[in-house]
Amino acid sequence: MNDMHLINRGVDMNETKISARNVQVYYGTTHAIKDVSVEILDHAVTAFIGPSGCGKSTFLRCLNRMNDTIDTCRVEGEITLDQEDIYDKRVDPVQLRAKVGMVFQKPNPFPKSIYDNVAYGPKIHGMTRNKAELDDIVESALRRAALWGEVKDRLAAPGTGLSGGQQQRLCIARAVATAPEVLLMDEPCSALDPIATAQVEELIDELRTNFSVVIVTHSMQQAARVSQKTAFFHLGHLVEYGDTSQIFTKPVDPRTESYITGRIG
Amino acid sequence: MHKDPHILSAFDRDLETVQALIMKMGGLVEAATLDAAQALEMRDDDLAQRVRSNDAAIDALEAQINDEAARLIALRAPTASDLRMVLSVLKIAASLERTGDYAKNIAKRSLILTQLPALNGSGGTIRRMSKQVEQMLKDALDAYIRRDAILAEDVRSRDQEVDQIYNALFRVLLTHMLEDPRNITTCMHLHFIAKNIERMGDHATTIAEQVIYLVTGQLPEDPRPKDDTTSLLADPKS
Repeated sequence: MNDMHLINRGVDMNETKISARNVQVYYGTTHAIKDVSVEILDHAVTAFIGPSGCGKSTFLRCLNRMNDTIDTCRVEGEITLDQEDIYDKRVDPVQLRAKVGMVFQKPNPFPKSIYDNVAYGPKIHGMTRNKAELDDIVESALRRAALWGEVKDRLAAPGTGLSGGQQQRLCIARAVATAPEVLLMDEPCSALDPIATAQVEELIDELRTNFSVVIVTHSMQQAARVSQKTAFFHLGHLVEYGDTSQIFTKPVDPRTESYITGRIG
Repeated sequence: MHKDPHILSAFDRDLETVQALIMKMGGLVEAATLDAAQALEMRDDDLAQRVRSNDAAIDALEAQINDEAARLIALRAPTASDLRMVLSVLKIAASLERTGDYAKNIAKRSLILTQLPALNGSGGTIRRMSKQVEQMLKDALDAYIRRDAILAEDVRSRDQEVDQIYNALFRVLLTHMLEDPRNITTCMHLHFIAKNIERMGDHATTIAEQVIYLVTGQLPEDPRPKDDTTSLLADPKS
């Protein structure tokens, strides 16, 4: 049983999905991300940890060009998805975000029915030809998000009427419905109770068979539980990046050690 | 290793509590090994009895350390050097407990030996061996409290000398027994005592290795220098 657990923790493939090289991010004159280079693996969960304001969310938002929406924000360096530069002028950010989905800290379902919340993405991306295909996509996305059993009899009910944990899983279903290749999660469990958190964590672990998952979390225990790779950010620098088991048993950098053992905030 | 305190000071207090228990246990075990050797050398039955009865306190401390360590893991979820400290504490406590048992066993045998005629020669060798092991244990515990991997490495290298003394003694005892079968009872007890001391050396080495793990995050990779060849010995004159 324990052996199985350890095998499951291994990274199945060592293919790089996203590669960032010498990334700098500025908000106006503030240098928020300082020369970060990192290789994010496919079929693995990568956790970004670090104190508030360390740049982990900012860096996460670079990966699907969410920072484009902030006028004062400037991104330098190179970020590639499957060897293609995502900041290339020919790349349509909307198409990019269909490939690189995102789940936010607070569950933010659309004020629509459960069905429409999930169907929205596939519809606008023209992924289906008829209602039957769309029904299939909605069902499989809800199943993947471990929500199908709880909502299958009330798909027309508003998404906002679900509990917090269910809403977050609905947002995950919405994110996976467009068949992304990468799923970015910014504190996906911070508004959830421990049981809903465990369900989302179980889901994250399942999702990595199909996706590359990047999760920003304040809970170091969550990073330890769900990720295979951990990156520690501090004051805009990527201080240490390595196997999660190594980071939590023998970190190399003293700043990592201080942070994960609770000595610096 | 850094010495910054935790933001949550109760965490530091918990770690210090476990550390203090280990040092207390280490002190009791050091005393037990010293007293057992003293009782044997001086044929002091009272001291030997005291070593035997004091072992219960050592066992109780080990149980307490195990409880505290389990509590720390459950409540504090220690990571990195904190985690290594808790893990090493568990192993060190187990080694100290075994060392205490060996001291108790030596005391028990020395009570029997005082009933038998003394055997010339081997007493000094056993004393030398136990002095060596006492120093190893003391240094291993010092290395632990000071987080001194270099001293720990030194302790580790010294176990070889204990093995060599044990080998020599093994041959001497065999020779005594071959010379006069009336020596067999005494020699058998002396041999078990020597073996106990040799095992104490192994446990001091284990403690030293835990110190290296605690400080560096890695157990020493090179095989430990060993020189106990008695398991290969058939004829004492070979």
